[in-house]
Amino acid sequence: MTSSAREKTLVYLLIGIVLLVFMTPIYLILVSSLKPSAVMFSRPPAFIFTPTLQHYYDLFTMRPFHLQILNSLVVALGSTAFSLVVGTMAAYAISRIKNKRINDVAFWILSMRMFPPIAVVVPYYIIFKSIGLLDTPLALIIVYSTFNIPLTVWLMKGFFDEVPEALEEAAQIDGHGVVATFFHVTLPLTAPGLAVAAVFCFIFSWNEFLFALMLTGSKAQTVTVAVMSFWSSDAVQWGRIMAGSFVVLIPGVIFVLTCQRWLVQGLTMGSVKG
Amino acid sequence: MADIAHQERRAAGSSPVRSVKAGNGRSTHIASRNRSIALIFLLPAVVILFATTIYPMLYALWLSFRNYDLSKPFIPRIFVGVTNYAEVLSSWPFLHALVTTFKLMAMTLSVQLVLGVGIALLVTQKLPGMAVVRTLLLIPMMISPVIVGLVWLFLYFPELGYLNYFLSVVGIGPIGWITTTDWALTAIAIADIWQWTPFFMMGTAAALQSLSPEPYEAAKIDGNSRWDVFRYVTLPQLKPVIVSLLFLRAIDAFKIYDIIFVLTKGGPADATEVLSLYIYRQSFTFWRMGVGAAASFVSLIIITVLITYFFRSMQRSQAALAR
Repeated sequence: MTSSAREKTLVYLLIGIVLLVFMTPIYLILVSSLKPSAVMFSRPPAFIFTPTLQHYYDLFTMRPFHLQILNSLVVALGSTAFSLVVGTMAAYAISRIKNKRINDVAFWILSMRMFPPIAVVVPYYIIFKSIGLLDTPLALIIVYSTFNIPLTVWLMKGFFDEVPEALEEAAQIDGHGVVATFFHVTLPLTAPGLAVAAVFCFIFSWNEFLFALMLTGSKAQTVTVAVMSFWSSDAVQWGRIMAGSFVVLIPGVIFVLTCQRWLVQGLTMGSVKG
Repeated sequence: MADIAHQERRAAGSSPVRSVKAGNGRSTHIASRNRSIALIFLLPAVVILFATTIYPMLYALWLSFRNYDLSKPFIPRIFVGVTNYAEVLSSWPFLHALVTTFKLMAMTLSVQLVLGVGIALLVTQKLPGMAVVRTLLLIPMMISPVIVGLVWLFLYFPELGYLNYFLSVVGIGPIGWITTTDWALTAIAIADIWQWTPFFMMGTAAALQSLSPEPYEAAKIDGNSRWDVFRYVTLPQLKPVIVSLLFLRAIDAFKIYDIIFVLTKGGPADATEVLSLYIYRQSFTFWRMGVGAAASFVSLIIITVLITYFFRSMQRSQAALAR
């Protein structure tokens, strides 16, 4: 489409502006997390300064940030593992049974992901309180699975659809059982799908805030709630907030840089193919 | 179609002898046995989702008919009929929250769509470096909304924030981004637009790259202007994707909470109090759980309508793909 050099320059200029707008906040998080508090808001902004790791040091010494990272990891990994097992099985069923009723079930499962969390947070709070699960990682694992199972089902369904049934039948005629066929023939072929679903479940659990805020106290607090809590102390600790923010955004950035080609399917629940 | 034929060939190729031996009767028998086992595979997910989502929703429904007010512990939590619903639906704050939700949705979705499609057209040009640009632009979506809220709070912050400083350099401002009722909703929209414009960029770019080149060549030969080609050739082909993206964003925008919680907590006054913030305030600031639950149910009904329309369009486009 681009023909002349002038047009090329224009395209690059526009892209430069777009990158400037979209990358500046991310750059700010990194730079501010390394800035000494004295020059945090200096005018004009200090582009050259002696970077300090003080804020990161504070994060782990004045706050139990390592424990909160651990909580987030336990919750995210627990929910990912659970959702992957349950979701993959359901996805396989939905992919292999092809009729109208199973489609309705599939859409029902998908709709569970779309309801506003705030609408169910009160019942969750009351239920978890009555069974003593408030402020435990298990509560968050359960809640996040209600979002992660539908995601896994819809991602994996797409992958199972690609595995020809004739392949499975051949293995079964060879004398392998249905379950053995599933584990030894079908599942290995959909390994990339499993990896993608796992990473998505992990990131969504890691990034979640509302449920973590409402359903945890000091014991099971996750990283997002912890970073937000630096805000409510008497003086706003911007350096610490930015250092914490940077730690929180690392998994998402790694994900984007390593498997961006799966983002389309994952974020649109398979309604747009990448 | 070519894809399916290829798969069949691959499958048959892997076990030519067996598929001959199998015969038709046996393979349909296996298929039907597989189906019943598949149903068992489906069971855990259905049971778990029922227990973890339908049950809390029914609980919320039960709550919405009760006088469940934690600020008045000595009042019995009796059945009050539709009182909570009547209060919610006739109260100004709820209607205001509903209007604010849709206002914010209209602001963010329209800008995200136009910007996202525009950027997609730029980054799908066949020029060096575009793949890197496309990847970098995906990052905002994967950042926790709380962190997005916090970094924009850093930018908007009264007196200190850098945004007003840079605007003052070019002679604008100062603007009370999160402190004035005139600007607060715009401030939130900007943060949301920053995070989710890449969503439209990503979806549109994926669709653009899968378009077949033939209509373009024909259009070029016919001597059409570039705008006409976009308007009459590209846009109609993008429409199904754009509709999907709009629905998905609308469903998400309806739930917006984190960014507002960080930036304004619904204020100043009630300028940014969307539905989720209204429910939050009723339930956890005024401790009126019954009223909060009633409002939750009204919002569930609204989102169900949105989701139903989305599924209809999704099923239609899947049917179109199958053809």
